[in-house]
Order: sequence, then structure tokens, then C-alpha cells
Amino acid sequence: MLWTKKAEKEYGKDPASDTDEFSAGIVIENLSVQFPDKNGGEPVEALQNINLEIKPGEFVSLVGPSGCGKTTLLRTIADLQQPTSGTISIGGLTPREVRLQQKFGIVFQNPVLYEWRTVRRNVCMPMEIMGIPKPERTRRVTQMLELVGLYNFGKKHPHELSGGMQQRVGIARALALRPKILLMDEPFSALDEFTKEKLHLDLQEIWSKTRKTIIFVTHSIQEAVFLSDKVVVLSPHPGRVSAVVEINLPRPRGLEIKNTVEFNALVSKVRKSFEGV
Amino acid sequence: MTAVRKIFSSRQMVTVVWIIGLVVAWEIAASVVQHTKRTPEYVLPHIYQIIDSVFSRDLVNGSQTATQVVLTNAAVTLVRAGIGFVIGSVIGFALALLMHMFLPVEKIAFPYLMIIQMIPILGMAPIILAITRDIDKSRIVIAAILTFYPVATNTLAGFKAVEKEKLDLMYSIAAKKKDVYKKLLIPSSVPYFFTGLKISAPMAITASILVDTLQGGGGLGCMLSQSLKHAMSIYVFWQIVFFSAIVGILSFYLMSLIENWCHPIRK
Repeated sequence: MLWTKKAEKEYGKDPASDTDEFSAGIVIENLSVQFPDKNGGEPVEALQNINLEIKPGEFVSLVGPSGCGKTTLLRTIADLQQPTSGTISIGGLTPREVRLQQKFGIVFQNPVLYEWRTVRRNVCMPMEIMGIPKPERTRRVTQMLELVGLYNFGKKHPHELSGGMQQRVGIARALALRPKILLMDEPFSALDEFTKEKLHLDLQEIWSKTRKTIIFVTHSIQEAVFLSDKVVVLSPHPGRVSAVVEINLPRPRGLEIKNTVEFNALVSKVRKSFEGV
Repeated sequence: MTAVRKIFSSRQMVTVVWIIGLVVAWEIAASVVQHTKRTPEYVLPHIYQIIDSVFSRDLVNGSQTATQVVLTNAAVTLVRAGIGFVIGSVIGFALALLMHMFLPVEKIAFPYLMIIQMIPILGMAPIILAITRDIDKSRIVIAAILTFYPVATNTLAGFKAVEKEKLDLMYSIAAKKKDVYKKLLIPSSVPYFFTGLKISAPMAITASILVDTLQGGGGLGCMLSQSLKHAMSIYVFWQIVFFSAIVGILSFYLMSLIENWCHPIRK
């Protein structure tokens, strides 16, 4: 569908046009998150005094062992968790405002697909909720499935796909919204090594084509170094930032980069930054 | 050899073995009864005698054969059970929706719903009959009461079983409550809803048959108690016993069939 003046009157601005000036840089200041103890004891400090700056279009990884609060940090940015104190500013807006403007795309550890919908209709679902008109939805679904290499699987149901393919459907669904910020919570951790490496290359390509701000949670140092511009190292008890490592490896990165001295130097630099594990 | 083993380990084979086993046990018992009791057909007739009676053209009550008696009365009971079942399912689903949408509704309503469920049908049926003063309405009301509880609890369990991540996803794109129900909660509760239907379908039929016995106005239950009194119609009794059992089981499979038809993709 062409976004004519008439269509604009009817549906609002073309959601496909990226003329939106919104800048998806994120500034986190003195952020703390506490979970109340269920037995009435001291509250558990999940995150303590986090300060972090993420530039628009940057690929940032949050790494750390279990319990370091990396998922909590991601959820707080996504407005799925409320901070106890401190502020998060996303392009000058609060996480809640950004969520209500539907600028987030989220990919979870599990694909979280709707079993009763086909792949196409799964990718379509968030756009239905956002009220994007049908011709545009169809166009974007096709485009996104091509991007993740699943165009021929559109009519299948999730249970007919492998785990890696399901995860790619989840990514296509998140990207179809044209989110300004893509939040990924250990999206590849349940996949085998071969599928994972393929998806690493795919994700890098998708990122370089779309230049979204991506926040990527993982417990794999190699994965973080390979994908990111910046690796944020979190340490547990209480969750805090113990280092921010800039990754200046040239792009596009191929798998062979993992054998280079520079890559391994960065991996060991990240590994040495953990405290109190 | 492997083919034989395959046949013996198949699911159908298990069913066949069960049926043969039951028939053999029945027949042994019937033979014993035949030689020890004066009126064996009142205690346990042979299966062939029952089958014989289905095709018999002898009139049992002046105008109808045994089979005709069973079928005309079955229509009376099953239609009411069916109406009650549909009404109960709709109410059950609506109630589950309300309880999920508004927590106070669940807190207030749930314990009392359980109490209604705990009253035996035998105790509840005369009360309902006294209120409605109509045996047909009572059948419908009792069937509906028995249906709505399993449907409501199962559907509610379905709403609660939705993975948190799916709800988070909806939240993250600022989905309206209406959309969350329409696109996520209701579709994912469908298998649970059908579990409720499968439990309550045979129960609704049983309940309607039971209500029949309260008044002499026809219906399977009414015939069941009347037929016991006449030697002529004793096979009406046995036919109703088998007929009710089969219809109960079929009602369960009918629900499975409808489920597969409207929700082909399972987890």
C-alpha cells in the first residue's frame, strides 16, 4: 500500500517511514533495584548504583554470571521492572513513555511463539496490536522473514520448526515493529553451537542493515565480544558494573576473527574484569 | 513375528482385549446367575439376550417396542441435558473470564462455587424442581450447574497457565487489555476449556437421567425405574443402562472431536 495523503489521514503517519527523529541513546544514572524478601527479611539488592551510557545505534552486551542482575537491568530498561531509585533516560524519555510509544522490540531466551498461529501470523501479531494496516503488515512480514531466512516457512506452525528457526521467528517478530531499541535476553543460550554461530553472523548483518540500538544479555564472553561494540561486565551480590570494555574489532566480523590474538586478548580482558565470583 | 507383536502392542489391541475381557467376565457371571436365581434377567441377563431385545419387535407397553421406548425417552433427556450443557459452558467460560479480569470476583465467588459443587445432585434436584416446578426446566438447570464448575475452573487454570514471557511481550508493546485477552489469553485457554467440557459432558447426562427419576414425566431415568417393575419391559432397563453408558462415553469423544476441529495445533 502506498502511503498516500488519504491513507495518512486514515491511519496516521506511515509507520514504515523512518523519519522519526527519536534518538535511542540510553543514559542510566545511579540505578538501584531491590526485591523485597518474601519472608520479611532484608530486601535483596539485585542492582546497586548502576551508571551506564549507551549511544544510539550501539550494540551493547551485558555479561555476567547468574544472579548478577543482567536480566533485571534489561527488564528495568524495558519498563518490565520498576527501579527502586535512580533514573533511566531513553532519548530524553522514561522507559514507560518509550514502551507506550511501542519503540521496544524484545527477544526472550525462549522463542515465546504462539503455537496456534503460523509463522507469518506470529510475526504479524504485535503489528495487529499496534494497529498497523493489513497491507503494510503483510509487506513487513515478508520482508522480515526474508531477512531471517525463513521466507519459505511462513505457513508452518512453530512446532514444525527447529529451535534455531523458532528463535529467528522471534527476532523477525521483534524487528517487524521497527523498534528503536532491540532488547535481547540470552536469545541464543538454548541453541547448539552451530546454530548459534550462524545466528551471530545473521544478527550482525541485521544490525548493520538496520542500525538499531541493541542491548544483548548473555553469559557467554565469546558471544559478547564477537557481537558487540561495548561489553558491560556485571558482577553479582550486589549486581554492579565492574567494567565496560570497548570492542574495537573491525566489522563485518567473520567467524575466523575468533582465532585472532586481538579477539582473545579482549576475551581475557573481559574475563579478568569479574569481581567476587 | 514382529508384525504380530506390533498388533498386540497397539492401542486398539488394548481396547479390544479390555472389551473381550469384560464380555467374558459378564458371561461367566450371567451363567452362574442363570443357574442359581429364579429370575436371572433381573440380576444379570446374557449379553445376547440384551442385544436380542434391541431388535425384538414385541411391544412392551402397548404401542412401542423396547428400542422405541428407549429412543423416544432418550430424546427427551438428552436434548435437555444438551441445552443445560451449552448454557453451563457459556456461563462457566464467562465466569472464568470475570474471575480472571477482576481478582475480587475470584476471591468472593470461588469458595461458594465450590460449595455448590459439593452438594450432591440427589439433594439439589428436588430443591431445583420445587423452585422451577417443571421437570424439563429442572433437567436443564441441573445439567447447567454440573457443567459450569469444571468449565470455569479449568478455563481459569488455562488463563493462569499462560507463560509470563508471553504476557511480558504483550506488555512491552503496550497491548490493551482487550487485545491481551483476545490474542493471547483466550486462545491459549482453549485446550483447558475443552478439558472442562470433557469432564462435564458425561456428568450433565448422568444428572439429567437422575432428575428424570423424580417425576413420572418420561425420560431415561423415569423409564429406568419403571421398567424394573415389569417382567415385560425388563430389557428396557438393560438397554437404558448400556445406552447411557455408551452415550456418556461418546459425549466425551464428541468434545475431543470438536476440539481437534477448532484448535488443530496443540502444544
